[in-house]
Amino acid sequence: MRRKLSILVILIAVLVVLPGILVAVGGGYWFRVATTIGVFIILTMSANLITGTTGLMSIGHAGFYGIGAYTAALLATNLHWPFYLTLPAAGVVTAFFGILLALPTMRLIGIYFAVATLGLGEIIHLTLLNWVGFTRGPMGISAIPGIALDGLFSASDIVNYYAVALAVVVAAFALGRLTHSYYGNALRAVREDDQCAASMGLNVVRLKIQSFAFACFFAGVAGALWAHTTGYISPADFRFSESILILAMMVVGGLGSLPGAIVGAVILLGLPEVLRPIGDYRMIVVGAVMFLSILFLPRGVLGETSVLAVMRRQFGLAWDNVKHLGWRQ
Amino acid sequence: MFDIFFVQQLVNGLSVGFIYALMAIGFTLIFGVLNVVNFAHGEIYMIGAYAGWLSITIFAPPLFVVILIALAIGALAGFSLERIAFRPFRRFRDEASLKSKAMREATLLSSLAISIIVREVAEKIFGSNMQTIPQDYLLLTPIEIGPLSFASGQFLIFGLSIVMLGGLQWLLKRTRVGLAIRAVANNPMGATYVGINTERTIIATFVIGSTLGATAGLVVGLYQGAIFPAMGFAPGIKAFVAMVMGGLSSIGGAVVCALILGVAEAVTTSFFAQGWGDLVAYVFLIITLIFFPTGLFGGGRERV
Repeated sequence: MRRKLSILVILIAVLVVLPGILVAVGGGYWFRVATTIGVFIILTMSANLITGTTGLMSIGHAGFYGIGAYTAALLATNLHWPFYLTLPAAGVVTAFFGILLALPTMRLIGIYFAVATLGLGEIIHLTLLNWVGFTRGPMGISAIPGIALDGLFSASDIVNYYAVALAVVVAAFALGRLTHSYYGNALRAVREDDQCAASMGLNVVRLKIQSFAFACFFAGVAGALWAHTTGYISPADFRFSESILILAMMVVGGLGSLPGAIVGAVILLGLPEVLRPIGDYRMIVVGAVMFLSILFLPRGVLGETSVLAVMRRQFGLAWDNVKHLGWRQ
Repeated sequence: MFDIFFVQQLVNGLSVGFIYALMAIGFTLIFGVLNVVNFAHGEIYMIGAYAGWLSITIFAPPLFVVILIALAIGALAGFSLERIAFRPFRRFRDEASLKSKAMREATLLSSLAISIIVREVAEKIFGSNMQTIPQDYLLLTPIEIGPLSFASGQFLIFGLSIVMLGGLQWLLKRTRVGLAIRAVANNPMGATYVGINTERTIIATFVIGSTLGATAGLVVGLYQGAIFPAMGFAPGIKAFVAMVMGGLSSIGGAVVCALILGVAEAVTTSFFAQGWGDLVAYVFLIITLIFFPTGLFGGGRERV
């Protein structure tokens, strides 16, 4: 009961109240801001699955985001696929690349894994930049068809908002189920001590690859949404600094906490909009917020442990430690 | 094989490699002592270049004074970096928390945050455009040796790098500070027990590493003539790759790998387009991590 009520409240907030507020404050521009925030919420939540829950620090997430965006853009412009096909296709292709690229790096831990993902992200960025015949290089891909269905709706800011909002809700639901379950606990065990987890019978490498694949899938979907909502992508959108921005969002929100990822994305992208007069100083604000939150809130705004309790109470997620103590509930 | 063009590329690659080596040493020293990665090292490089450019445009001193100013600014930057981004996170002194994952990640992120702030502030103050060094200071006078042609900047890079590397060896092997750095790198608790001031040693490490990084930035600014806020990123990453390839805490290994990287890049650039040259470093990085996780010159380590 409580669970259905909480989900209903969230759906109403995202699909009715928030668009209402956006229309009230003037629509247009604010819808685009909300769309950007939504794309980054998906990115941060997906990166959070690898970095926060599984404990593999990924600083190349923008590369996978870029693969998704280019997949969707190329499919839509060259083969004229509609958005409802390019979105899942981008996710699947990105997940495939994620597995392919991550397989050899899976045995690395800690800083070595972080460095390897940095390398992968940069390799992807440089490939997008230099493979002019296929990706059109630094010119980018323009005139990507927007999110539209013949006879039902055509591309507009509001349609973009609803598409992204629905994707955010679906991603949050899927990632929430993944992280607040027996499976999520296994991932946390891998994070805390992978050798110990392996000796308890968990297949550590498989878990790591799976979480990487899930995260890459959603990063790809986020990329596809970005491509369709903005209509233009270039390699500059998928640089190392975007990976850092995603990382900063996770850290500010709280590593390993799904609502934290959402809050982090909203803070780091919303703050520069609120502080419009000093809008030029956006990245300085990002850096400062990141630094201060590491210093004073090492667990983030919404820390993982406190969020787990809320999730359990409000959504019936996670596990009930009285009734269902044990395996695979 | 002994094509003139090829030898020329080799020399160009070596001069780039020495730049990477100067930066990689900074990374290696700091990693050795604190077991953390300093992501703000590229910004020290940028600060060194800007210090040189500012001193030249404001009062045009002779070249060695410019170098000294850059060294001093680099040392100051290293000191402040340690104070701001690393010290606040060393709240506990015991070995377990000094080596803990949380501490490593916190300092990694804090140095990243500081590097963003420094770069953006530089962009706000100086603009994101390239600054150019006045013609008199640009070290591009061609010097012909037989059929080969070198820029005078390359000699400065070679000379300065060799002097600095030699000086570093002397410092680490013969002076008290160097001995303390090596002791702390080897065993921080043991070093504390025999009376070494760990805090001061860590600051000394940052100052030395940052001085080398700032020199690298200054020399590149003088040689290539392009100074911009984001200039530290690419060399920083490549120096980092060299450090990983060299085995994380081996200075000699880092230098050798930095030279290999520089030459490999120059050779790739001459065969393919410019853009693909940057890819070499990352491919080397991935290959090293997969096949030689302990680095080409690293000793046995616990786990990577």
